[in-house]
Amino acid sequence: MVNPIYIIAVLLGTAFLLGLFRKKGFEFGMALGMLAIAFAAVISVHWFIHLYSGTEGGLNIYTAGSKPPFSINLFMGVEESFFMSAINILGLLGFIYLFRAFREQGLKSSVLFLVLIMGMNVLIMSRDIFNLFVFLEIVSIALAGLIYLKRGKESAAAGFKYLIAIGVISAMLLIGISFFYLFAGTLNIDDYLQSNTLPVKGISVAIFLMLIAILLELKPFPANGWALDVYEAAHPGISAMISSGTATASIFLLYKLLPLSSLDWLPYLTVIGAVTFVGSNLLGIVQKNSNRLLGYSSIGQIGLMIAIIGLAPRLGDHFNFIFVSIFISHFLAKAGLFWISGIIMRSNIREWSVLRRNRLSLFMFGLFILMLIGFPPFPSFYGKWQLVMDLAQHKSFVWIAVILAGSFIEGIYLFRWFGYAMKEQDDEEKKIIFQWEKLIPPIVFSVLALGASYYTNNLSLLGPTLNLIPIYFILALFVLDFLPAFVKNSLVIAGMIIYSVLLYPSIADDTLRLIFGGIFMVGGVLTLFAGYSEKGKREGFFPFAVMMYAGLIGLIQAENLFQFFFSWEIMTLGSYILIIRGKKSMKHALNYMLFSLGGAYLIFIGFALSHIGQVTFDLQTLSSTILPGWTYTLIAIGFLTKTAAIGLHIWLPGAHAEAESDVSPMVSGILLKAGVFGLVLLFLLMGAEQAEQKNLLYILGWLGAITALGGNLMAVFQEDAKRLLAYSSVGNLGYILFALAFVTHVGWMTALTYSVNHFLFKTLLFLAIGGVVMRVKTHNMYEMGGLIKQMPLSFIAVLIGIITLAGIPPLAGYGGKWLFYNAVLSKGWYFQGMFIFFAGTIAFLYCFKLIYSVFLGQPKDKFRQVKEAPVWYLIPQIILIIGIMVFSARPDLLLKPVGTMLSQSNYFPTDPLNWENVTASTDLGYWSGYKIMLVIGVMFIILLSWLLLMSRKAQKIKQFNIVYAGERPFKPETTHFSHNMFSHFYKALGFLSIPVVSAFWNGLNSVTHSMAENTRKIYSGNGQTYIVHIMLYIIIIYMLMF
Amino acid sequence: MKIFELENISMAAGFLLLMVGIWGIISQRNIIKMIISFSIVDTSIHLLLVSIGYIRNRTAPIIGEGVTKTDAATQITDPVPQALVLTAIVIGVGITALLLTYSLKLYRHNRSLEINHFNSLKW
Repeated sequence: MVNPIYIIAVLLGTAFLLGLFRKKGFEFGMALGMLAIAFAAVISVHWFIHLYSGTEGGLNIYTAGSKPPFSINLFMGVEESFFMSAINILGLLGFIYLFRAFREQGLKSSVLFLVLIMGMNVLIMSRDIFNLFVFLEIVSIALAGLIYLKRGKESAAAGFKYLIAIGVISAMLLIGISFFYLFAGTLNIDDYLQSNTLPVKGISVAIFLMLIAILLELKPFPANGWALDVYEAAHPGISAMISSGTATASIFLLYKLLPLSSLDWLPYLTVIGAVTFVGSNLLGIVQKNSNRLLGYSSIGQIGLMIAIIGLAPRLGDHFNFIFVSIFISHFLAKAGLFWISGIIMRSNIREWSVLRRNRLSLFMFGLFILMLIGFPPFPSFYGKWQLVMDLAQHKSFVWIAVILAGSFIEGIYLFRWFGYAMKEQDDEEKKIIFQWEKLIPPIVFSVLALGASYYTNNLSLLGPTLNLIPIYFILALFVLDFLPAFVKNSLVIAGMIIYSVLLYPSIADDTLRLIFGGIFMVGGVLTLFAGYSEKGKREGFFPFAVMMYAGLIGLIQAENLFQFFFSWEIMTLGSYILIIRGKKSMKHALNYMLFSLGGAYLIFIGFALSHIGQVTFDLQTLSSTILPGWTYTLIAIGFLTKTAAIGLHIWLPGAHAEAESDVSPMVSGILLKAGVFGLVLLFLLMGAEQAEQKNLLYILGWLGAITALGGNLMAVFQEDAKRLLAYSSVGNLGYILFALAFVTHVGWMTALTYSVNHFLFKTLLFLAIGGVVMRVKTHNMYEMGGLIKQMPLSFIAVLIGIITLAGIPPLAGYGGKWLFYNAVLSKGWYFQGMFIFFAGTIAFLYCFKLIYSVFLGQPKDKFRQVKEAPVWYLIPQIILIIGIMVFSARPDLLLKPVGTMLSQSNYFPTDPLNWENVTASTDLGYWSGYKIMLVIGVMFIILLSWLLLMSRKAQKIKQFNIVYAGERPFKPETTHFSHNMFSHFYKALGFLSIPVVSAFWNGLNSVTHSMAENTRKIYSGNGQTYIVHIMLYIIIIYMLMF
Repeated sequence: MKIFELENISMAAGFLLLMVGIWGIISQRNIIKMIISFSIVDTSIHLLLVSIGYIRNRTAPIIGEGVTKTDAATQITDPVPQALVLTAIVIGVGITALLLTYSLKLYRHNRSLEINHFNSLKW
């Protein structure tokens, strides 16, 4: 093993050597510098591998051949080698990244860079306090020089503010060190720790000053204005070094010096870190400048790490895992984001849409953003999971709430930014060059991020049980993204079919999972068929479609809470990206993501609560939670955000309506069932008998009823066909929730069959309307009309769809309704039942509007030439129609197994449905799908023949025969019959559809934003104000501690 | 009165200067005056360091005239703080020089040395 002191020697020597170079030897000098940092990186990584895998404790290095106090003592342990490896790899890439900047400013600027790297290495290794001070100053001086690498007034001002702030902070540090020496008589950390010096007040104050100085180097909120200015003004390559490099060194310094203090700093660190995490992220949400935004986020993440150090005693053995996983995510992601920022050179986050010109950098941008927020499969996801679980075990609920709130706020601005990159207008006039040497560092960090994710998965307590096959499939699709769409589509369909076939035996005995698995997988394949009509490559679609389906199927396969949550997040992520692909989806996708994120965190907390006192994460732990009220309520609300119960529904209409034509059926017909599946699982496990659960179910019942009414009512007043269907989904999911809340045999049977029905008819309707929209290029129903001739098959599909939806005999929807009445009557929820029946009546209105406005009435001139929907849209529709017909004629195919399954569960031992061949009967009546079909069919034929018989003399009316036509053609569209179709109903009931809920969420949004806007005014931009902040911060913390 | 011994006076002066320096940094709008205040803070810390290492009736920790290697331990003051002061002075010079360089740059950009003329980065 090479003695790590050579790292210092080589870096310092090279730095001196480069000072001698003239302009001509620039390339050679750069090569030397790169070699020097590479040398440091190789040695530190070598040490890390050696120490991590071995049993050796580490190496003490004494300078000048003698022991402390006569020399300075360095230590290379496993922690040291890890952080040094991180810093040196970062340094190497950062050096390459700055190649052009160094050439502009001369080789001497790269000398500063080498000194910076060297300083950080010593900061990590040194065990001598004064030595630490010296190298902290060296790092600061080098950085202060590098801040001016990008010349300008801004960077000069930022550099000056930085120097003054650092000057004051290091003055405090030096005073602390001198008095520490006065009382302790040594400057060596280990000497002091072994000496057992009495903790008199003097030394406590001295150590306080030292620690608070290190803490201030970590930029705690709000004493961090100077740092934000630096992040904003400096060259992004330097900001990357500050955010990922010096912050790493400083936080390790804090960790190293913490044992000196006899005072209990940990609670204070927790508070300081948490305040920084939440505060900094909160101010970030109104920030428009990308580098400053990254600064806010950076400070927030470091705050989280400080808080984790503070919470260490509660985390026990897991501390290292949690800290490192959060650290590595921040380290890789933040450097990567700063680097990308330097490539595209756009300061306004809205202008990051230029990323779309380079798919690779867009991909990396997304990867880093998701890593920061803590989405699976990145390390921070595992870290946060473990953190929250451990905190719950210690009943630290406040900290769970604070940490997740901070993460959520961070999600707001990061996803908004991501949305801009995906969808904002791109001003193509402005050129941009993607330089290769600037792309290398983020590429390397992306690869490292994926590698780190893999290792975290293996290291985590639950990880290796995760099913990684879908993840590999997704990665492969990213690689294969250059293929034409139909190839990838076939690949994905084949993959899903194979996966389903392989999966089938494992869930064949579990009817519940079979039903939902069937919806997810069959539905997935059917909706993917529609994708064949897409031309070109359809870049970036398939990986995320598979991601969504992988998440959905993961929910089915999940054996424990972790796997469930992992799949839940994967599903959310995939669906979010599918939704944002729509043309006007930017805002709606953000809404969807924020509601999903909030909901997911509630589920997360609920899981954590149920885990208290448990050893395993088995799904069964939900049934033995010690806090049933909280657990179930939180989890239920979480699932309700997905099923869009009223109050949490405002994301749905926009997200579903603005999505691409074949994405709408995916997210509406299929994705919504994930929430239903979650609720079923939850109710199955929670036990309905206890009083708390009864109250919860009663409330959910009401919520379902109101959702059904509200959703349907809002659907009636829509002009946009897809929005109408989307609101209708809100209402339909209300039915399902209502029926689930019964927790009776027949209630659940209703809910499950209705889930299947809803999947069939809503997928059908969205596919049919999607096909129409593709042809007529508008969503507005009053602009359509008379399309029955051009699109007869679509018309039939919609007709079948609405008959099923409205529950008109003889189709499956009617069977659902029959069950529904049975359930309501046997449960005795008459009042809520009235809501439901009323909602059902309203459903007729919008069903009529849909079919009339689109397919009947007057054909429009401009649509006379439109063709039938693409054949790839029609094929899945035909299959769905066959499905509806089968379940309509033979409802027992579905109901019998469901009944058996429910009877086998502990809940409902008696099956109220009696089967006689294919006829079901309850105490209230009987029903045979087959017979009803027969009766209705006969009636239909009789009436039809009667009609034909009676209208032999009928005259065919041409469209422009004004005498007979119902309306005058060529009028402005607003006078169209179907425009404002139900205005009279609106007069009567419109008050019920006033968007109070949206008003509430908008209000919350604007309150948060104005709060952030006002608070960030403390960063006045004046260097002296920042010094006042620092001094006040020290004084306040001192007052609190002593 | 023991209070008025050299080391106490020096320490008190150190703290006094520290206050003066920090006050100067916060209150002086002129960048050069801020830098001078910063130097005062630096000096105050050097005074503090020296006063910490001082042991009464002993001489400077230099082996040579009157101080031999064998009895150095009883004759000289604590050498560590003195070494520290030397290092701190060097660092202080470095930072002051860098501050002055920045003030020059700032002046060239804005023709002003008022700190509140450099507020364009904020919030």
